[in-house]
Order: sequence, then C-alpha cells, then structure tokens
Amino acid sequence: MKKLLTVLILLSIIALGWSSLVFANQDRIIIGTAAEAVGLDPRMETDIYSGQRIYVIMEPLVIFSTEMELAPRLATSWEFNDDGTKITFNLREGVKWHDGVPFTAEDVKYTYEWILNPENQSPNRSLYVDIIEIEIENDHLLHFHLEKPNSFLLNNLARICIVPAHHGEEADFRENPVGTGPFQFVSWSRDDRLVLSANQDYWGGAPNVDELEIRPIPEDSGRLFALEAGEIDVYQDQPIPEEIARLEEDPSINVQRIPGTGYRYLGFNTTKPPFDDVLVRRAMSHLVPREGIVDVLQEGLGIVATGPVPAGLPWYNPDVPRYDHDVDKALELFTEAGIDLDEAVFNLYSHEDPAFIRIAEIIQFEASRIGLTIRTHVEEWGAYWSRLQTPDHPYEMYLVDWFGQVDPDRAMYRQYHTDGARNFGMFSNEELDYLLEKGQTVPPASEESISIYNQAQEIVADQAYYAFIHYYEEVGLSKASLNGFTPNPFVSMTWANAHLFYKE
Amino acid sequence: MTKYFLYRLLQLIPILISISVLVFLMIHLAPGDPVLLLMGDEGTYEDYRRLQELYGLDLPLYQQYFRWVGNALQGNLGISIRQGAPVSQLIFERLGPTFELAIASVILATILGIPIGVLAAIKRQSFVDFFSMIFALIGVSMPPFWLGLVLLAYVSMNVGFFPMFGREGSIVGGLWIFLTSFNITPLYDGFRYLFLPAASLAIAMMAIITRLTRSSLLEVMGKDYIRTARSKGIGEKVVIFKHGLRNALLPVVTIIGIQFGFLLGGAVITETVFAWPGAGRLVVNAIIQRDFPIIQGGVLMLAIAFTLVNLLVDLSYALLDPRIRYQ
Repeated sequence: MKKLLTVLILLSIIALGWSSLVFANQDRIIIGTAAEAVGLDPRMETDIYSGQRIYVIMEPLVIFSTEMELAPRLATSWEFNDDGTKITFNLREGVKWHDGVPFTAEDVKYTYEWILNPENQSPNRSLYVDIIEIEIENDHLLHFHLEKPNSFLLNNLARICIVPAHHGEEADFRENPVGTGPFQFVSWSRDDRLVLSANQDYWGGAPNVDELEIRPIPEDSGRLFALEAGEIDVYQDQPIPEEIARLEEDPSINVQRIPGTGYRYLGFNTTKPPFDDVLVRRAMSHLVPREGIVDVLQEGLGIVATGPVPAGLPWYNPDVPRYDHDVDKALELFTEAGIDLDEAVFNLYSHEDPAFIRIAEIIQFEASRIGLTIRTHVEEWGAYWSRLQTPDHPYEMYLVDWFGQVDPDRAMYRQYHTDGARNFGMFSNEELDYLLEKGQTVPPASEESISIYNQAQEIVADQAYYAFIHYYEEVGLSKASLNGFTPNPFVSMTWANAHLFYKE
Repeated sequence: MTKYFLYRLLQLIPILISISVLVFLMIHLAPGDPVLLLMGDEGTYEDYRRLQELYGLDLPLYQQYFRWVGNALQGNLGISIRQGAPVSQLIFERLGPTFELAIASVILATILGIPIGVLAAIKRQSFVDFFSMIFALIGVSMPPFWLGLVLLAYVSMNVGFFPMFGREGSIVGGLWIFLTSFNITPLYDGFRYLFLPAASLAIAMMAIITRLTRSSLLEVMGKDYIRTARSKGIGEKVVIFKHGLRNALLPVVTIIGIQFGFLLGGAVITETVFAWPGAGRLVVNAIIQRDFPIIQGGVLMLAIAFTLVNLLVDLSYALLDPRIRYQ
C-alpha cells in the first residue's frame, strides 16, 4: 500500500512538471465538432458534418460567400444562354490536385456524370436531373446543357465539390480523398480525428498553418470546456443558448453571430381534419409565442420567423400576413371554424431534441389558456424523420426544422409544391404550384424572380401552411487568438477558407 | 477442465443464434428507415426505391436474415449502409480503445475497491468503516455522465495534466515503444488521456466492489473454519488474507466479471463525454442512423466478448476455491 502511494505521488510530480512543458502549437489548428463525418466523398454524403470536412479538402465550381452570394471557386465565371438551357463555365487555370495532376474540365464532367448515373446510387442525384449533357470545349471551358431552364441550378452545383477523375473510382476514395482545396488529406480514424496538412500549392495562397485537425467531441459541455481550456481553437455547432451571454463577455472567446439559412416550424397536415381548414391553421399560428421562444428559450439566439425564405436572402418578403401571439384572436378563429374547444383534442408531435420538446409544451400551455386540449407526443429522431416522409404519415401537427434554405426554390418548391419531394403537409395550391414552377425559369437576380417569390411567400403565409417559429442564427465560436475565421450561413462551407486562418 | 471449456464454447452457438435473431427482429420491427435517414434532405421516391434494393432492404425479413447469417458465417459482417465501409473493419478499429478503457477501469476499481473493502471489514464500526461506506454510497449514486463532466470541469480545467477529450495512442503501444526505444512520451500520453475516463467509470464500480468485499468478508470471518484457524494460533493477517479474503472473493470476482462485460458495450456515455473512440459510440450512432449491419455486427461482437468474459470468471472460481472442479 505504501509503495503504491509512493509510486502514485512520484507519478503525479513527474506529471505536473511535464504538463508545464505542454504549450499551444502555433502551427496547428484544432476544430472540435459535434459529430463525426459519415464519409468524405462529396458525391455520397448528405450531412453537414461530412460537408464541413469535405469543403476544406475539396472545392465546388461556385461557393456561397458569407453574404449568401455566389462566388467563383473552381469556376472563374459562368453565363446562362438566353433561354436558360445552357450554362457555360470558365474554369480556373493552374489549379492542381493534391497529387500534382492538373485540374481540368474532365474532372467536372466526371463528377456530375457519376452522380447522375443511377447505378452509382448517389443520394444527391435528384439535385442535378435537369442536366442532360456536359460538353467540354477545352480543358478550361465547358457547357452544361439543361433539359429545361433551372434558375437555381448554380446553387445546387455549389453543394457538391469536384472529384478527381483519376481517383474517383478508387474503392477507398470515401476514406482517403484527393482534392484541390487548401488542406490535403493525411489520415482519418473515425470518432477520433481527421488530420489534414497544408496544401502549399493552393491556388488561393498557401495556408498560414501547417496542420488542421478535426476532432469529434459529441458532448456539448465537453466541447465547450475544451475550447475554454484552449485545447481546441474552434467549437463547431450551435452553443447551448444558456451559455451565449457568458461567452460573449469572455475576452478569450470570439463569438460571431450571423443570420443562418434554417428555421424551426410547426407544420400542419392538411389531410387530417380540421387542419384542412385555413382558419384552424391560422388560429394555431396565433397560439405560438415566437418572441417569447426567441427571448427566453433561445436566450435571444434566433430571429422571429415570418415565412419560408430566410431573412438574409434578397427574396425575403417581410410584408406577408403575420400571426402575432394572440390567444383571443385564436379563440375567435377557432369559434369561426366551428371547433368545440371543450371537445376537441389535437395531437402535436415532436422529436427528442429538448428545445423542440419545450416548444411543444409552450404551445400546449398556450392552447390550454383558451381551453383547447393538445396532447404532445415525443418520438426518437430516426423513427420521427422516417415516418414524416411516408405519404400518409400520422402526424397532424409536427415540430421540425429546415437547414440550408439558400434560395427561394430550395425553400419552397420541395415543401409546398403539390409534387414537392418534402411536402409533409400534403399541400396543394394551383396558384402556388404555378408560381413555383415559373420561378425556376426566370433569372434568379431579376425583378421578376423577386416578385414571383414575394407572391409565393404571401400565399404560404396567408394559407398558414406552417406556423413559422424562428430562423436560426449561425454562431462561430473560436478562441480569440484565432484569426481569419468567419461562420458561413451555409453551414457546410464554414471552413472552406481555412487557408486564411492563423493564430496569434 | 478442457472438456468443460469446449462445452462452454459450444454453448455459445445457441446464445449467438438467439441474440442475432432477437437483435434482427428488434431493429427491423422498430420504426425508422435507414434509407430515408441516409437520404436526409435530398432524394426522391425513385432514389429511395433504388437504394432499398441496393441494400436488400426490399426483401422479406426472413430472406434478409438468412442472407446476413450466410455472410456472417463466412466472416463477412456486411457493409455499413451509412459509411460504406466493411462492418468488421469499423468494429475492429474500436475494440482496442474499448478494451483498454474497460480493463483500465476494472484494474483501477479493483486495486482500490478490494483493499478499502477489506479495511472496512476489519475495522468494522470504526471511522474507517463509516467513511468508506459513505464514500461507497456516494460512488454508487453518481451517474457516470455527471461525474465525467464534473471531472472535466474541476480536475481537467485546473490540472493541465489531464486533457479534456480524446485519446493519444494505446497504452500497450506506448509500452512497446518505451521498451524498444526508451521513449516514454507515447506511454505517458496514453496514460494522461486514459486516466479521467477510466476513473469516471471506475468510481461507481469501485463503490460496488468495496461494499461487496466488506459484506462478503464479514460473512466469511464469522465462519467456523476461521475460528478454527484462529484457534490454531495462526496470525491474524494470514487468517484474513489466506483464509478469509480468498473465500470472500468469489462473489466479488463474479461482480467484476459482469461489470467488465457491461463496460465493453455500456460505456457509451463515458465514451461520449470524453470523446473516446470506442465501440459503444459506434453502435449507438448506428442505432440512431438505423445502420442495420453495424448494429447486428456490433451487438454480436459484444455478445461474444461478454460471454467469454463470463466464461473466464467461471474458470477463475476453480483457482480461488479448490473445491470447485469443472468436468
């Protein structure tokens, strides 16, 4: 026993002496993330954790700036033909893959043709089905021929990084990728770390640090401790709202907040009476205390939502019908719709995220103030998301969120068009269908596009298909000693400019 | 003994078959579709059908099961639906960290738990007994995730020696490097990263071991043969350690074995808090994503490990108590 004690004491003395030798490494940046990537092949992944890693190693043709405008990346310029059925890309010259082979139009053609080939089972295929042919004019000039005009195809192209044709068929490409990005792949052990080293030949200039390490630390508190202790330089994911005020006051932490591209909402299923009645949907919308949810539950982290298009985008229409929190108005509308509040029982479904459960309880409480009974049901995420996507899902009211709503087409067509792939509410509105189809054919930056989507947003709000709750804010949390890091509203691109990061 | 060992190994077969059927049914009957979860926000119904077909998820359940068994018998646990990598490789990568953490916790809990338990039993009704039992009660009552966070917030935050998360190489690997090239850094790092997660798991286990050792030893010390030993004039130390403790250890060893088995698959919370790359996290993530091949393969591997640990425990009875013989 005595011996053991002596050994333990000796060990701790050595340890303490040693730990003073451990100092911060200027040449390495460590990012702590909430989850591990599924894989590193841009053609196959759909989750943001994979996306964030991929955009450091590889690059798309065009990318979103922090102001949500399309910016050149591997393409230096692009042009639509007059009827919107052809896009011509000029590719950046002098770009090399990490193995030294030059990047050419062949790689672009290869990437998109691979995704479009049904045999390859890419879950991202549906984003590009309007492309019928990719024609190479020379190594740095190519044309995308489209079946029909698709104004927002460029935004979809930004979602996928280009894969090298000479490596793309390798069986382990998903775990050992080669790209053109600022950092190149070194090693990856799942749930432990992804190690990347600086691409000294990067066309945008060699990175300021030699090494980038991305480490999954799933527990939010643990990740925050690690940031505060200086063991990581960047904290990925939303911080717990309760922590935000404290972090903003901490001089050693840099908190950057920008409007995001996602939002939380309460959805209605129009095939389940009485939610086919717009009066009932409007009444429910009046029961949601949006300001209270943002101020108290979210501690100010978020923006009150009015419609499906995020507030930061040029198509955002602030002048849509709004449903202020007003229980008397809700009572009036329910009465007008002929709902007997003493008899009626509504079911509200949520998944297991604590914030969503609390929102469900808040809505339940607000309804109880006018004597309406709402039963809340909480389900595990996997079961919830799977059920929600089945055509006749059982949910009459459901709480969920959308991310990556980078343009009005993405934010509305899939959700509200009669044939929309994610029309969970089974909405069908001829006028809206017409507008959403029309919007795809006019140039995105034009007055006409803005006017079309303004009308579409008005219909969605007027029909109260969703009770919008709040838009997300994207928060960049990093050590104050890290410079050059800014969050991106399109979360996957957050570290796409990692070559600009440097430590003081 | 060999015969018994082989017999027990044969018993593994029906156990594994039942577990595989049970797991298979549970994951397929539970709501949640791996393909829908894989597609996330993208894809159409057409894509969905194609992917289902690719993974054989459109076949009748019994066909899916026999296909899986057929492959598993040839050592092929399938390909992860989500990650596209072979399941056996994914599991194999995690076994090292998982065993390391489990073994370290068991060692820590045992070398502290048994002596404290013995001390409490010998000094029964004294302050030592009182404090060690209070300590044990607190230990059993602390949930590991909370204890893990407390260790991070107070120990790791204040003592730079213990890192906040992750793992830097294995202890065994570190030891090898130390012995072959006299470089202590890898071993030293391995220890630094292992200590807090192991401690957070060990405390509850240690509490259980302490309490059990104490009560078991007290019971044994009241037995006739102890009185006989004492009356023969044998020294108290020898009576306690040779006659008393050895007999008192049987239930303790059983509990250690069971706890070790649980740690192999059930340390997922600690693995999450400390970002430890273990098998528990792999399987739990697979459950969240309905990655059926990983769930099936992972549970099967853990079941094998659990059963083997139990077998070792049973065999160790024979070493502790010469009266026990296996035939």
